[in-house]
Amino acid sequence: MIRVIQGKLIAGLVLAMSILQGCVNATVDEMTFLEPTEGIGDASVVIIGRRHAPDYETEFDFIECIGDHIRRGDNSISVLHELDFINMMYPWFEPRTAPLRTDDIEKLLSQERVANRFEELKLEYMIWIDGSTIETNSSGSMTCGVGPGGAGCFGFGTWGNAADYEATIWDFTDEIEVGRISANTSGQSYMPAVVVPIPIIAPVQGTACDSLGDQLLKYLSAKM
Amino acid sequence: MLLLSACGAREVVVQGNFPKPLMDPLPLTLGVIYTDEFAQHEIFDEAAGRAESDWLVKTGDAQVEFWNTLLNGMFQEVVQIKDSQTLEAYKNTVDAVIIPAVADLQYTIPLHTNIKIYEIWMKYRFKMVSLEDVHGNENGDLSIKPDQYFADWTLTAYGKTPTAFLQSDEEAVNLAAVVALRDAGANFATSFSRVPDIAAWMAEGLQPPPAEATDIQRLEND
Repeated sequence: MIRVIQGKLIAGLVLAMSILQGCVNATVDEMTFLEPTEGIGDASVVIIGRRHAPDYETEFDFIECIGDHIRRGDNSISVLHELDFINMMYPWFEPRTAPLRTDDIEKLLSQERVANRFEELKLEYMIWIDGSTIETNSSGSMTCGVGPGGAGCFGFGTWGNAADYEATIWDFTDEIEVGRISANTSGQSYMPAVVVPIPIIAPVQGTACDSLGDQLLKYLSAKM
Repeated sequence: MLLLSACGAREVVVQGNFPKPLMDPLPLTLGVIYTDEFAQHEIFDEAAGRAESDWLVKTGDAQVEFWNTLLNGMFQEVVQIKDSQTLEAYKNTVDAVIIPAVADLQYTIPLHTNIKIYEIWMKYRFKMVSLEDVHGNENGDLSIKPDQYFADWTLTAYGKTPTAFLQSDEEAVNLAAVVALRDAGANFATSFSRVPDIAAWMAEGLQPPPAEATDIQRLEND
């Protein structure tokens, strides 16, 4: 009987842990034009993180998250993998050499091999993501112990996260900037612990990814 | 025993995949000499306190692999000058010889700076010399006359990687070193033709300036 109750308790905790999420505030600003109303056809898109700032760099997994979001939303859109693209174009998209303005595209395309590679890839849009997720505050304490009768924790911890990202869309064919979308999200996570710690995580970065991904999908897809 | 071993020296043998550069190769046949010091480059950093560990970062193999890949993509042909035999074999076919060296390497981990970033900073020194000024000794070693280099310049490179969940210090330092090597390559590839001595040499039809008569010096001591 006791084992059944213990089992149900553990199952309940696992369920609670998977359901409980902290709240996230999100603000999305969008300014886009020259939308491809018919979609982008068989052309491709690349999403790249900005990494030239000394104090932060846009996370690779955030870029992957946005790419996956767009692919899931419209599988006809060909989104190139960031690392594959950077390696294929080495050394022109390293933090030191990556183009910062659309004026730099012409200089890049003046090199025959680079221009040919872009043509092979049928690259139509280049989307730069600049920003990062940071921890804004943390407090609380937790003590864990192990004894002959079992192990457990007691205490309470809380921390806040803030994500601030901006996507800049370049039309590679016309060599112009065609839009900017920004997403700012913040949230507070909690971890109460009475024997078992129960994390209540605010999906701050995930919400920023979904917000930017949705807007980019609307811009690129003919289905939306 | 497991806890005690955590206080021992931490070793990183830098490893990575390095892409070939996408650029129109310069119409040059370049010789390259990797000195033993360069090919076996490593830094040892002794722990400053009991809470820290000694660090040994070996970059030599990765340096050779990286610069071979980069130079082969940047120039029409690249040959490695290892000894008197290879020196003799490539006589009259090589436009110039480049000798890279790591002049300085510094790293930081979050323990040092309290910033959640692993960083590597490198300073390279490159020298270029015409093949005629490289001499082979009887024992096969190579030597060069001091002041015969027609180009001598430095460049810096920087690599950083943020802390990530389940990423060990060693993995993070390795990744920072790979990023620094890639940055060095990007810097070299985009600035090579703009180095004043190189630009002058190329403008003068690959003729180095007349050499001054000086004593011969062993390359390893240079």
